[in-house]
Amino acid sequence: MARQPSESEARIELLQGTLDMLILRTLQWGPQHGYAIAQTIRAQSTDVLRVEAGSLYPALQRLAKRGWVTAKWDQTEANQRAKFYRLTPEGKKQLVREQSKWGELVAAIGRILNPEAPPSGVKE
Amino acid sequence: MTFFQWLKRRREIDQDIAEEIRSHLAMAARDHAADGADPETARRAAVKEFGNVALALEDSRRAWTSRWVEATADVLKDIRYAVHVLAKSPGFSLVVIGVLALGIGMNAVVFTLLKDLALKPLPGVEGSGRLAVVMSKTKGGRIAGVSYPDYVALRDQGPFAGVAGSSPGLLNLGLKRQGERLWGELVTGNYFQFMGVHAQLGRTLLPSDETAPGKDPVAVLSNGLWRRAFGADPNIIGKTIHVNAYPLTVVGVADKSFHGSVVSWDVEVFVPIMMAPQLGVAFQNRPGKLLHDRKAGFLAAYSRLRPGGTLERASAQTAVLSKQLAADQPLEDVDRTLTVLPISRAPWGAQTYMLPAITMCGAMGILLLLIVCANLFGLVLVRGISRRGEIAARLALGASRIRILRLLLIENAVLVAPGAAAGLVLASFALPWMNTTASAKALGRFFFDISVDRMVVGFVALAACLSLLFFGLLPALRSSKVDLASVMKDSLSARGAAKGRFRSALVVAQVGISLLLLVSSGLVWRSLDAAQRLDRGFDDRGVISVTVDLKPNGYDEARGRVFYQQLLDQVRGAQGVESASLAATYPMTMVDSEAQRVEIEGYRVRRDEDQMFLYNVVTSDYFRTLRIGIEAGREFTPHDDASGSQVAVVNETLARRFWGTPRGAIGKRLRAGSGEWRTVVGVVRDVKYARINEAPRPYVYLPFFQAPRSSMIVHARGSAGAVALLEQARREVHRLDPDLPILDARTLHEQTSLALSILTMTARILATLGFMAMALASMGIYGLVSYSAKQSTHEIGIRMALGATRSDVVRRFLARGVWLGVIGAALGMGASYAVTRFLAAQLYGVSATDPASFATAMAFVLGSTAAAAVAPAWRAARTDPMTALRYQ
Repeated sequence: MARQPSESEARIELLQGTLDMLILRTLQWGPQHGYAIAQTIRAQSTDVLRVEAGSLYPALQRLAKRGWVTAKWDQTEANQRAKFYRLTPEGKKQLVREQSKWGELVAAIGRILNPEAPPSGVKE
Repeated sequence: MTFFQWLKRRREIDQDIAEEIRSHLAMAARDHAADGADPETARRAAVKEFGNVALALEDSRRAWTSRWVEATADVLKDIRYAVHVLAKSPGFSLVVIGVLALGIGMNAVVFTLLKDLALKPLPGVEGSGRLAVVMSKTKGGRIAGVSYPDYVALRDQGPFAGVAGSSPGLLNLGLKRQGERLWGELVTGNYFQFMGVHAQLGRTLLPSDETAPGKDPVAVLSNGLWRRAFGADPNIIGKTIHVNAYPLTVVGVADKSFHGSVVSWDVEVFVPIMMAPQLGVAFQNRPGKLLHDRKAGFLAAYSRLRPGGTLERASAQTAVLSKQLAADQPLEDVDRTLTVLPISRAPWGAQTYMLPAITMCGAMGILLLLIVCANLFGLVLVRGISRRGEIAARLALGASRIRILRLLLIENAVLVAPGAAAGLVLASFALPWMNTTASAKALGRFFFDISVDRMVVGFVALAACLSLLFFGLLPALRSSKVDLASVMKDSLSARGAAKGRFRSALVVAQVGISLLLLVSSGLVWRSLDAAQRLDRGFDDRGVISVTVDLKPNGYDEARGRVFYQQLLDQVRGAQGVESASLAATYPMTMVDSEAQRVEIEGYRVRRDEDQMFLYNVVTSDYFRTLRIGIEAGREFTPHDDASGSQVAVVNETLARRFWGTPRGAIGKRLRAGSGEWRTVVGVVRDVKYARINEAPRPYVYLPFFQAPRSSMIVHARGSAGAVALLEQARREVHRLDPDLPILDARTLHEQTSLALSILTMTARILATLGFMAMALASMGIYGLVSYSAKQSTHEIGIRMALGATRSDVVRRFLARGVWLGVIGAALGMGASYAVTRFLAAQLYGVSATDPASFATAMAFVLGSTAAAAVAPAWRAARTDPMTALRYQ
């Protein structure tokens, strides 16, 4: 991989707790393994958000422990054995909760940063 | 889930996550390869992108396992690492383990003795260390027994949760030649309930065995006697045994663990107190009235304090009861009050003479452990310095200080554990050896609970933990505080010097304490020496003692007189016998033998004066046989018998106290007990009657044929040699009565050396402690000097290059070692001077500040510190200056 020093500065540190939400969100489209989850988040954020493997795997264990995802060993399309994580119904509910909380948080921060703007409704 | 299941689960989780990470890396590498990298570069890029694999694994696992399991697993890992590290320097590890084993082992031995004497004095009795014993105390402060009427008052009105009485002593078991003498106890009916001891067979004695004198002729056997004498006969209940020739029915066998209520006596038979008259137990020759006589203080009243009660309060309440008893039933001419003692001060048993000595040994043992710790402290500190590189690397890689502290502490714990275990093993070998030695010398059967039980293990664990805290935690705290910069520069200057000072202080402390130990052991050795040389007033060399008792074989007084007269005549007539006589008791009995109230004609007793004097009953030739000098008058002759006038011989102290001079005593009269007035016909030199360090005390001798008794000792002196004399005496006894058992036969010297055995034992233990301490302190000095010499290699090189000679270098390092020795010795001197006065009670014939002991210890300490410093100093001087300069 080529070195891209400017890129690391452009990356944003993930807020505490948001990684769990992003993982759950990524799994909404179907079961995925850890590597794919990291790649998806990176691609969807147009390279702005990079998930450290050192944070991703502990986060996945945490989610599994809470019963929001289940894990199962399977083969990838490229015939590589990998552990696939699947969202549980509990996990889906949790995602909804976290998204609404996130929306409130963004709106509140927005109001602080732009006090003159009229208050806007929370979008699901 | 058990811990081991957890560990298994943890391993599975680890494997699962590790495989997931491998799969992640494989996919990442494939992507990089697809971008055109060669496989190796792609693999490396994937790993680099992933970051810290180990950390990711640990963090992921933590989601599943509990903190507790994680911490324990970490500690296990640290232990494995510590064992690995220590195995790499086996010399260091073995020295530490060995030193600890000695220090802890010594302490375990002393603690076990202390436990048996004071903490758990009665095996098989729950909470025996907290028992109290009520005795009576005369005006002169002498402790005597409690009478049966007083016991009943204590039981019914006393301030205790429970009271039981016991009268321990020697009893004869069996008849004729099968007879043997053993420890027995005459006990009250509630004794076994009070002690909480059950019967393993049959029943124990019960309150119903204490209803009327002579009504219940029963006995309970100890487990030991049941097995030894009756082959563990399961049908023993209901069989008849003879105790003091009186038939008793066995009703039970006591629990295996129970050995009676006197420390170190193996009590084997228990008889109801109500049988005392039948067994011929008398108090000062006043038979019959024993159970009704308030004067007959023959019991010890064991008592349990009420919950929340203190010994002081119980004492005060007992004193009130005692006054009440004195008012209700006054005792003419006997002034005694009841007094409550902790069981460790009970008047019978080994604790009476061993406890002070063992307590002293315990204190010294703790000092030794301190030296051990100081020594290890130094070793661990040096090791910490040499491991600074490793510690710095760990800190740099992000390990927390706590983590490093834990690792270092665990490393030390890994050394302490086998050290403590080895100490326990050492103790468990030393104790049986000491026990065998002691019981070979003991008078009756001897029992001492030498098992290394939970209490001892607990003590060892505590000692190990404290040692670990002292020599493990403190240096670990220092070592974990590594200054990264100074390690990088490999400079030892500032911190090295500070640590040097600290280690010097440790060495000084070690030298000081070992001087204290050496002075103490020196004092006790000198006491022993003085005691052995001392003129005891008699000569025990070449004298034998053979003990017989006629009563169990059915002799009455008249037949007894005839028997003893014939025996004396025969022994005196035997070949190689110079002289022979009879005596009721030995000199140097270790514990006081019988005392009697002695009345002096024309002397008015002061209110606080104790007129109870020890006495002996002897025949003619007694003073000649034991070579006790006669100061005035004459010794007993064969004419001092029932038909002659009543006479007595007194010792010099008694004569001087009441009549001024030995000569002045001749012809004066005295009365022993309730007997007739006797004329003093002779005054003999003082003898050491019980202990070597006793003060001179009044003593009375009565002629046997005017005051006969059934049990006597035959003393014979002769040129024939002890073995031949003993054999001859046995033969003469059996020629007169083939059925008479010989209760004891040994040389008088064997008997009297018993009284010195405690002093000998103390001297041995203290000497061992002292020399171990000195060896350790020398090791400390050796270590310190060789370390500082090694540190100064560079400096030595420069000095030698600039013209210093080898002897200059030797002097420099030698001076350092010796200087520490001198400071330590000076401090130790001060400490010894302050401490040894507490030993005074244990000493004999030397003062607590005996200059010879101090000087010897001082010379020894300075000599060994110099010797310890010389080798490393010499090695330092042989440094090649060129190599030294190139060092670093």
